[in-house]
Amino acid sequence: MDSGLIKGMLGGSTAELRQRVETLTVSRDASVDIAETERRRIERDLHDGVQAQLVTLAMDLGMARQKLEAGNDADPAVLALVERAHDDSKKAVADLRNLVRGIHPAVLTDRGLDAAVSSLTARSPIPVDVSIALAKRPPATIESAAYFVIAEALTNAAKHSNASLINVDAHVVDSTLRVEIRDDGVGGADIEHGGGLSGLASRVAALEGRLRVASPVGGPTIVLAELPLPADTWPPPGAPVA
Amino acid sequence: MTMRIVIVEDSVLLREGIVRLLSESGHEVVGQLVDATTLLATVGELRPDLVVLDVRLPPTFTDEGIEAAVAVRSEHPTQAILVLSQYVEERYATELLANDSEGIGYLLKERVADVGDFVDACQRVAGGGTVLDPEVVAQLLSRRRRGPFDDLTPREREVLGLMAEGRSNVGIARMLVVSEGAVEKHISSIFSKLGLASSDTEHRRVLAVLHYLQHS
Repeated sequence: MDSGLIKGMLGGSTAELRQRVETLTVSRDASVDIAETERRRIERDLHDGVQAQLVTLAMDLGMARQKLEAGNDADPAVLALVERAHDDSKKAVADLRNLVRGIHPAVLTDRGLDAAVSSLTARSPIPVDVSIALAKRPPATIESAAYFVIAEALTNAAKHSNASLINVDAHVVDSTLRVEIRDDGVGGADIEHGGGLSGLASRVAALEGRLRVASPVGGPTIVLAELPLPADTWPPPGAPVA
Repeated sequence: MTMRIVIVEDSVLLREGIVRLLSESGHEVVGQLVDATTLLATVGELRPDLVVLDVRLPPTFTDEGIEAAVAVRSEHPTQAILVLSQYVEERYATELLANDSEGIGYLLKERVADVGDFVDACQRVAGGGTVLDPEVVAQLLSRRRRGPFDDLTPREREVLGLMAEGRSNVGIARMLVVSEGAVEKHISSIFSKLGLASSDTEHRRVLAVLHYLQHS
């Protein structure tokens, strides 16, 4: 199809199309930023509200339990109920903490990717070698996408790979943040049919990036996210220094 | 020993809860602050046995507590501080312990629910001990999987983790349901595998482990 025909079908001039692409790009970038801000707001609200309330509830139950245990005349049925309520409330606090961390880890905002990845590696049943070399902090949306790609890849590896070691590597090449997660497992990962990685592929694509997964049967599995960085602050090598 | 404690916590609910808990355990809450702006002055004036401090505080709700703890320690190097947080992070632990870990604690806020353990942790920190949350210890260990740590047996890793939490030999023996002698054997094996000089006191031992975790 020639460009004249396309123009005819779309019913607009080249200038109008260019204008439209620019408008869509701006509104998409705004959506990405709004989504990121919203995630942080939800995290903050949960932290200030329900998390504090639950911790206080668990503490009060802990104090009640201690008093009942210290006295000799507690009804065993009441003590058993309080014990169960105390244990359940502690579990609810821990579950909520993990849930909120999954929405947005506060340490990512405060200290960046490398610091945030620490708690992921601590929860990985497979040993993880981390090599994150970034001279400065990428924009929050990019940092956040990189973090969640790593989180999802580690989760998948733990579930399916049977690997003995995972390597996480993040560095900048030609104004692009390259995040690679490689395991020495059995491969054969199916990422086409739903799952967390296909959702992340859209998130990465919205940042003009690309998410690729190579997982031949027999391994290894390699997840690679390439996220372009703003060229004004991350100039390609050889570019004149401003 | 009755402790004189200053609490810095912006959530009214939680602050009042912790005050109740510590008061009922026979301790005296001498100061309550909603943010860290006047903490340095308050510590200078009251000289408490312990400061219990939240990490996220007004005005920015990020890491004010960590910065405040570091500032207080540089002015009052022996001030015992227990930092509480909704999340614990290896990076913050490293910053808190960068100079000296004596009288420093870093725990998940939800540990207050285990009332007896929490008061015990307060006492250990006020007494100059180091108390780290098991979650932080797991993060510190997971970042150093290669090298000499590979040589540690699962049991030795467990013992190392409990040491970094500030547990005594007796405490470790009780938790693992083994004899104190067995714990001592594990510890001397850990120190020899990591190439650390075994030291006399429990505190120096924790320091050696932390130093190793942070700098290797």
